[in-house]
Amino acid sequence: MTSTDRSDELHAAGLDGQNRTALGRLLGTGNVGHAEVGDDGIMRATVRIPEDELIFEPSIVVFPQGGEVELTLINDDKNTHCAVLPHNGDPKIIWLVNHSKGTARLSLGGPGTYYYGSTTGNDEGRGLTAALVFGGEVPDDAKQDRPPQPRP
Amino acid sequence: MTDYVDAGEAVPHRTLSATKGQAPATSDVNYERIQQARNEPENWLTYYGAYDAQRYSTLDQINKDNVKRLTPAWVFQAGMNGLHSGASTYSFEACPLVVEGVMYVTGPDGKIWAIDAATGEELWRYKHASPYDVSLCCGNVNRGCAVGHGKVYMYTLNAHLICLDAQTGELVWDVVNGDVRAGESGSVAPLIVKDMVIVGSAGGEFGLRGHMDAFDAQTGERRWRTYTIPKPGEPGSETWGDEAGEAWQRGGANCWVTPSYDPELELLFQGTGNPAPDFDGDVRPGDNLYTDSTIAVDVNTGQIRWHYQFTPHDLWDYDSTMENLLFDAPDGRKLLAHADKNGYFFVLDRTNGELVRVFPFVDRITWGEITPDGKVTPKVYPDEEGVPVHFWPGPAGGKEWTHMSYNPNTGLIYVPVQEVGATATRRRREFRESIPYWGAGVAVDLDDFYGYVAAIDPLTGEEKWRWNNEYPMCASTLSTAGGLVFQGTPTGELVALDADTGEKLYSFQCGSGHHSSPSTYSVNGRQYVAVPTGWGGWVEGFLPGLLGASAGDALFVFALPES
Repeated sequence: MTSTDRSDELHAAGLDGQNRTALGRLLGTGNVGHAEVGDDGIMRATVRIPEDELIFEPSIVVFPQGGEVELTLINDDKNTHCAVLPHNGDPKIIWLVNHSKGTARLSLGGPGTYYYGSTTGNDEGRGLTAALVFGGEVPDDAKQDRPPQPRP
Repeated sequence: MTDYVDAGEAVPHRTLSATKGQAPATSDVNYERIQQARNEPENWLTYYGAYDAQRYSTLDQINKDNVKRLTPAWVFQAGMNGLHSGASTYSFEACPLVVEGVMYVTGPDGKIWAIDAATGEELWRYKHASPYDVSLCCGNVNRGCAVGHGKVYMYTLNAHLICLDAQTGELVWDVVNGDVRAGESGSVAPLIVKDMVIVGSAGGEFGLRGHMDAFDAQTGERRWRTYTIPKPGEPGSETWGDEAGEAWQRGGANCWVTPSYDPELELLFQGTGNPAPDFDGDVRPGDNLYTDSTIAVDVNTGQIRWHYQFTPHDLWDYDSTMENLLFDAPDGRKLLAHADKNGYFFVLDRTNGELVRVFPFVDRITWGEITPDGKVTPKVYPDEEGVPVHFWPGPAGGKEWTHMSYNPNTGLIYVPVQEVGATATRRRREFRESIPYWGAGVAVDLDDFYGYVAAIDPLTGEEKWRWNNEYPMCASTLSTAGGLVFQGTPTGELVALDADTGEKLYSFQCGSGHHSSPSTYSVNGRQYVAVPTGWGGWVEGFLPGLLGASAGDALFVFALPES
C-alpha cells in the first residue's frame, strides 16, 4: 500500500474529517512534518489548526533526537483552542484564541513519542491530539554492555 | 485578514494552580542521619524508613486502644492528564518520605510532589516527561524517591535519574542510565548511601542484562555499574551454558526494588529479577546467575561479595527483587529475611550468605520443593512446547514486590501473602530488542485465590497468626510501636491489625485498591499514616480477578482526631 492509497482509503472511509463516518476525525490521520535544526541546536517546527478540521497540522512532527524544541502554534480556526504540551519539569499550556499565534519552548528526551492536545471541551477526542516523535539513540554510556542485538 | 493575535508563550501548567513553588528549608539529611533514621520517628527519611528495610516505626500515638478513632486528615489527588504511557495500568505504588513536616512522594507518569505533611497543601511539583511508547512490563508506576544532601532523586520510566532541589523542585541534573530502545525502564526508589545515589534497572521481561548503578549525589557522575549477569570469563558465567552462546546477553536479573543496607558491613543487599525468557529454560541452560538471587554488593566498589540464589534456573518468573529485611538474632548473629516469590521464606547470615533457615510461608506450592537444607527440586514446569502447565504460586509469587515489616517488640515479621496460581504454555520465540521475551503464554487464575497477612517468627519459622482475606494481599505492611500492623487490601480497605493477635481493629474504605507502601510520621506531635491508593500496575499478574476494579490515584493521610 502506498501513502496515497492510505490517504485515499481514509478519505473513502470518511475517517479524515469532522462529522463524516464518525463524529470526529480519527487520531493520527494527519500529515507528517519534520523539525528543522537551527545553528543554535534548537529544533523548530510549526503546527496549525486549520478551519473546522480540529487537528494540529502536521499531526505528527518528527525530530532527529531529544533536546530543545521551539514549536510555533497557529490557530487558523474560527474557534478557540489550546495546547497542553509535554515538557520536562511540567507540561506547558498555551491558550489559542481564534486567529492567534504563539510559541512553546520544550525540553524533551529521546527517543520516543509524546502526545499533546487541546484540553478544552473534547477537542482531544475530536482530533486535536497530535504527536511529537523523537528519534535517535540513548548515550553510549547508558547502553547495555553487550553485542548489538536484533531489533524487530 | 488581520495579523494574528499574539498568543504569547506556553507557560508551565503549575503556574495555573495553587501550588506554592517552594517548600520550607529542612536541615540536611546526610548519611549519618539516615543511618540513625529510626531515632527520629517523626520523619520517614528513606524508602523503607531505615536502611534495614524493617518498615517499623517507634511512633505509638496511634495504638491498639485508639486506632478505631482513626480518620482521614487530608487527601491528595494525583490526577492524570492527557495521553500517558500505560494508560490503563497506572498505579500509585510509592512510599511517601517525610522530612520535618515536608512530604516527598512520587506518583505515576513521572510526577513528584513536595506536600505539607500536616495539611496536604501542594508545595511544589515536578513532572518528568516520559515517552508514550516506552516499554513497560508492569504499568506506569514509580515506587518512590530518595531525599538527602538538599536534593530529591527520582528514577523515571524512561530510565533517567533526575536530581531536584528539595526546596524548589527545580532540576539540578538529569542522567540517562538505561536504553529505552532495549526495553529498559525505571521504577525503583533510589537509595542514598554516603555521597552516592543507588538505582537499579527494570525491564526483565524484555531480555535485558540487569544492573545496579551508583552515582555521585552532587554531580550525577556514575561511580560504578555492576551487571547482575556475568559476561563470559567472569565468575558465574559458567551458569549460562556455552560461553559462545548469547543467553547471557539478555538474561534479565534486573534490580527494580530498593536494596537494604548494612552500614557496618558496607554491603547493599539487592534482590534480582527473573531470567529471560521467563518460562523457556532450554535457551539458557544452567543456574543462570545472578537471577532470582540476593547479592551482597560492596557499596564502595560495586563488587558482589556473596550471593544466594533462591530459584536456580527459574521457569516460573520467580523474581527475587523483593526486600531483604535485616535483623539480628538474640545471640547477635546478623541475619537477613527474604520471603520469595517461590513461596519459601529464607533466613540468611548476611555476613556471608549462609542459609540459616528456609520454610514455606504459603499454603500451595506445586512448582517444586526446597528442603530445610536448601536443596531445590523442580517438579512442575513448562518444558514441552504448547503444553499447558499449572503451578502455584503463580508468576506474581506468594509475595510480590510489596514489602513485609518487622516489629522488634513482637519479634514477628508481617508478610502480605498472595495465594494465586497460573498456567503457562511454553511458546518459543526469537529475541528482538524491546519486544516482550517470555517464551510462553501465561494465564493467571481468575478464581480459586485468597490472601492473608502472616505473622511469622523468623527465628523458628512458626506462623503465629494469620489474618485471612477473600483477596490476595498486594500492598506492603507497616508495623508500629503502637502494636499495630497496617495493610491495604485490593478492594480498597486500609485495615489495622493487632500485632500480637491479628485481630482487625480498624478498617476504612479508600475507594480503590492498594498496591503501595504506607509510611508513618508526626508533625507537631500528631502522628499520621500516609497511604497511597490506586489499583493498577501488573494486575493481570497478581490478581486478574480484579482487573475490572476501580482505578485511582489518591494519597490518604490518616490521624486521630485533634480534639
